[in-house]
Amino acid sequence: MPQLDPTWYVSQMFWLVVCFFVMLFIMSKFILPRIADIMDKRQRKIDDYLEKARENKALAEQSLENYQKAISEATAQAQASLEAMQKELDELVAKRQEELNRKLTKQIQDSEAKISQSRDEALAQVHEMSESLAWEIVKKIGVKDISRKDIKNAVNAAAED
Amino acid sequence: MSSPMEQFKIEPIIPIQVGGYDISFTNSSLFMVLAVVLATLLMAFCLRRRTIIPSISQSVPESLYDFVAGLLRENVGVEGLKYFPFIFTIFMFVAFGNVLGLFPYAFTFTSHLAAVGTLSVISLLFNIGIGIKKKKLGYLRTFLPRGIPMVLAPLIIPIEMISYLSKPFSLTVRLVANMTVGHIMLKIIAGFIMAAGVLGVIPFVFDAGIVVFEIFIGLLQAFIYTVLSCIYLSEALHEH
Repeated sequence: MPQLDPTWYVSQMFWLVVCFFVMLFIMSKFILPRIADIMDKRQRKIDDYLEKARENKALAEQSLENYQKAISEATAQAQASLEAMQKELDELVAKRQEELNRKLTKQIQDSEAKISQSRDEALAQVHEMSESLAWEIVKKIGVKDISRKDIKNAVNAAAED
Repeated sequence: MSSPMEQFKIEPIIPIQVGGYDISFTNSSLFMVLAVVLATLLMAFCLRRRTIIPSISQSVPESLYDFVAGLLRENVGVEGLKYFPFIFTIFMFVAFGNVLGLFPYAFTFTSHLAAVGTLSVISLLFNIGIGIKKKKLGYLRTFLPRGIPMVLAPLIIPIEMISYLSKPFSLTVRLVANMTVGHIMLKIIAGFIMAAGVLGVIPFVFDAGIVVFEIFIGLLQAFIYTVLSCIYLSEALHEH
């Protein structure tokens, strides 16, 4: 079995040591640093992108927050102005209502006064007409003992009934 | 018919004698050099254009890097990543040695005890060096774990030493045995192809299947060799 032949032991050991250390030198000085370098670069790039993604996410979240704040502020503002407008309108309506009420009341009062005046006038006319009519009748039928003053009293008494 | 053992025979290519030692450049040395050169060329070729989004060829060294880094992280922990180049080189060297040996007329240096044994001893010395650097004299605790009564020390210390030194031995034998057996099987069945005449188609197809299987075994053994190296490294770094 050639494996057990010691003739070439020293040669094999020598060349193995030489080859192994040459390979170790080449690998550790030239090959592995290159692999490590490119893999490192890749990792850094990935980390960079992840970092950027995180930043963008934070930015988006900030924007969303701002947007929601703006919305709620605008809603509140709109609510407030709506309420103010409502109040103004209510006041205006109330004022107009009052004015109208006053005007109507005054008109009613005026009209009532006019009506009562007209009625008084009409009543006075009725009295006078009744009186003069009664006087004409008395005169016509020739009753002498009734004076004009008596008739007036009688008419007044009748009107009061 | 040539012997199935002939493929393991070492032939000198350039004879070199230094101080009475024969360190000739042999077919074994040639394939060690080839493993280094091809692994380097492959990696360099795949890494010629490095882009953030890896091309298919770039993802090969990256996957290997991730794979070995994962092994270290799992078996040793994050502090093991300092020794990444060493473990990575072991993996690439053994994997290339195993797979290159499967080419026809190729030589499998990982099927030789002297070669793999040397690699295991390098790994052992590396672990001892790291262990002493990390724990100073406390490294001797490896041979006498805490909580063992002093009375047992004369018994425990030799046992621990044997178990410690048997680690590179078991690493070596596992890899060498796997490689040797696989190649012998390939050659024996290949011998049947011509002998069986027309029926030689059957061992031919069978052999083709075994080659695929041996590629898998070669990578698996490289993986196992690397994992065990990681575990020994972990034992050098941590208390047990």
